[in-house]
Amino acid sequence: MAVIKLENVYFGYEKDKDVLSDINYEFDEGKIYAIVGRSGAGKTTLLSLLSGLASPTRGNIYFQDEDISKVNKYDYRSKMVGVVFQNFNLINNLTAAENIALSMDIAGSKEPSTAKKEKAYRLLESVNIPREESDRRVLKLSGGQQQRVAIARALSHDPQVILADEPTGNLDEQTQEEILQILKRLAEDGKCVIVVTHSPEVAKRADEIYRL
Amino acid sequence: MYIFKNAFRNTVRNRGRTILTGIIILVIAFSSCVALSIRQAAQTAKEEALEGLSITAQISLDRSAMMKQGQDNSNSSDSSDSKKDFAKMMNESSLSVEDMQKYAKADSVSDFYYTLTTSVNAVKIEAVQSSYSVNNMQSSSSSGSDSEKSSKASSDTSSAQTSTGNAPAPPQGDMQGGGGPMMGTQGDFTIIGYSADNAMTAFTEGTSKITDGQVFSQNSSEAECIISEELAEYNSLSVGDSIVISNPNDEDETYTLKITGIYSNSQSGVQQGGNMGFSTSSDPANQILMSYTALKAITDKSESVATTSTNDMGIEQSSALRANTEGTYVFEDAESYEKFEQQARALGLSEDYTVSSRDLSAYEQSLTPLETLSKIAGYFLIVILVIGAIILIVLNIFSVRERKYEIGVLMAMGMKKGKVALQFISEIMIVTLMAAIIGGAAGAASSVPVTNALLQNQITASQEASENMEQNFGRPMGDMPDMSSQSSEDAQANDSSANDKSASDSGSESQAQQPPQMQKTNYISEINEAVNLKVVAQLLGICVLLAAAGSAVAVTAIMRYEPLQILSSRD
Ligand SMILES: Nc1ncnc2c1ncn2[C@@H]1O[C@H](COP(=O)(O)OP(=O)(O)OP(=O)(O)O)[C@@H](O)[C@H]1O
Ligand SMILES: [Mg+2]
Repeated sequence: MAVIKLENVYFGYEKDKDVLSDINYEFDEGKIYAIVGRSGAGKTTLLSLLSGLASPTRGNIYFQDEDISKVNKYDYRSKMVGVVFQNFNLINNLTAAENIALSMDIAGSKEPSTAKKEKAYRLLESVNIPREESDRRVLKLSGGQQQRVAIARALSHDPQVILADEPTGNLDEQTQEEILQILKRLAEDGKCVIVVTHSPEVAKRADEIYRL
Repeated sequence: MYIFKNAFRNTVRNRGRTILTGIIILVIAFSSCVALSIRQAAQTAKEEALEGLSITAQISLDRSAMMKQGQDNSNSSDSSDSKKDFAKMMNESSLSVEDMQKYAKADSVSDFYYTLTTSVNAVKIEAVQSSYSVNNMQSSSSSGSDSEKSSKASSDTSSAQTSTGNAPAPPQGDMQGGGGPMMGTQGDFTIIGYSADNAMTAFTEGTSKITDGQVFSQNSSEAECIISEELAEYNSLSVGDSIVISNPNDEDETYTLKITGIYSNSQSGVQQGGNMGFSTSSDPANQILMSYTALKAITDKSESVATTSTNDMGIEQSSALRANTEGTYVFEDAESYEKFEQQARALGLSEDYTVSSRDLSAYEQSLTPLETLSKIAGYFLIVILVIGAIILIVLNIFSVRERKYEIGVLMAMGMKKGKVALQFISEIMIVTLMAAIIGGAAGAASSVPVTNALLQNQITASQEASENMEQNFGRPMGDMPDMSSQSSEDAQANDSSANDKSASDSGSESQAQQPPQMQKTNYISEINEAVNLKVVAQLLGICVLLAAAGSAVAVTAIMRYEPLQILSSRD
């Protein structure tokens, strides 16, 4: 069943200059999708549309058969999708754990803060961030560590769809492999995982490849 | 709520920003607290002073207005007319007791009493002579014989001066309202007749006290009087003795008064209303107090035996004792006083007379430094708030720009704009409240000493100003507003009548009536408590307002931001 469906989607940042035109695609649950294409092809733009940060200039996007232009974008972003941004977009003066707890708060988590903290630590451990690093401000972490914090944050509110923009771009092979394992597990759990990548290695592991 | 937790965490983490904003608000809160305290202190002092104030008023002839009228007439007609006007003015100057009583029927008046004042000489007894009047006599235009006569007394001045500083002055010392004493020869003694016990304000207020015998009976028309301890001592008089007074215009005309009591006066300093200050008779020690009825009997008798002569100015002069009646209207409060003039006019008071209250003027005068300070504090407050608000707005503009990316991320994570705005408002409020509490506490702690120091400055400044003026004028300036306006009116009369003999004469006469030393105004020079709940509430209001100004900037920016733009235009 299609979790996200794009129908004749057009988008341009400026008038009469479409970055994306007439996109028709369906993303199913339980699968990993790789979106590939040259730089500037519009991969990040597509993710913005899927994450509700941008709205198509024409055409429709459906999330579980519901037109997302009709749902609250903020609720959609905080609850339905988890996004790993190309440049991480973490809150710099918060620690790794706090960034994750904040994401849960925004998603409306009613858990006590100790439980949230505990969950944040576990999530960070799953992306190879040990506890002592979890309590450092993200600004003081390395690029690769920040990337993993961003991945952990995207998973923090247990979203139906995971959108990741170059999630392995800054990682060594071993960590990249670990991340791919995590994504694979998520797909096995029935999530829809959409990954933008330049890496043929990553694309190879996807169930389907969408070329822009 | 995670928003507040986040806000609190941010204020703690971004120490630099918090401290910068905090210091600015702290300074604003501190200065505002002091300024508000000053305003509150002024308000409180005003209310307290007004509460304890029983307001009395007098109706007096608007001399300057009449003078001007006379002047106008003399320009258009011959000089005999103006002389007639002048004489008419002199005769009309005093309201009759009946008239005064008529106006006392106004609703606003709570009590009314009156006094009769006259100046006499005495047979066999000597007036107490203080250095105070001797000094002034040398420069004064007062009659030489007076000083001759009493100069031997000046050896005794030191004791006399200290003890006679203050006797019950006539409750209303304004002699200018009446024509009496200023036209005849001035005697050595002043006799004051009171219509009622409560007219004897020095006694009701407790500054004067009977030390021997008792006060004359109010209704008896028998010539009973009380005299000051100083006068009694000086002439070895005691209760039961009699004194013989004489008309200064006709020394053969004498009256015998029986002393029923001797009083002392505890107040020190120069008494207000020492208007007749040039001569011995102005010395409070030389005041003889009687009942109105008794004194009226004497002046009436004097009137009946008087002879009339015409002086070189062509004005008819009687040899009768110059008597001056003055009525005092008592009011419950300032509002009643405000209403009185209109009511009196309705009852037929002519425009030639003015209603004035010395208590109210003195009260207003005493508040001047504090009110000036309060006004300055008000302007200061406005400046501080405007500058403070501008600084905070600018600071927040930079701050929200700097945090644009953070805002974009929060919104990209699905945090609603309203919540992001709330977080920013909370951060500003937290800093503002902390700074306001510290600044307010510091302001509260220092507001009393700061206010008192500023007040002292203000008082010194106004005193210096009046001293300078005195130096320039070579004589004291009127300290009290009504007095100073009086003297300026006199000066005006002088100027405008330079070529009008009669008018200029009277002008200098009335100037000679100015006391040698005016009362020093008792400024309110200290406040005890400045910060009350109202100030705290006002301070809080100000801080919330400032925080709101800062928040408004942040909120507008946040509402305009779109996460996609922010995040895609980074680096
Ligand atoms: N905020 C923006 N405003 C205007 N044009 C934009 C904006 N963001 C992207 N573009 C344009 O849209 C096109 C697609 O950009 P996009 O970021 O989607 O490319 P991409 O495929 O993600 O490239 P890369 O592989 O380098 O990340 C580019 O031509 C870019 O110039
Ligand atoms: Mg991209």
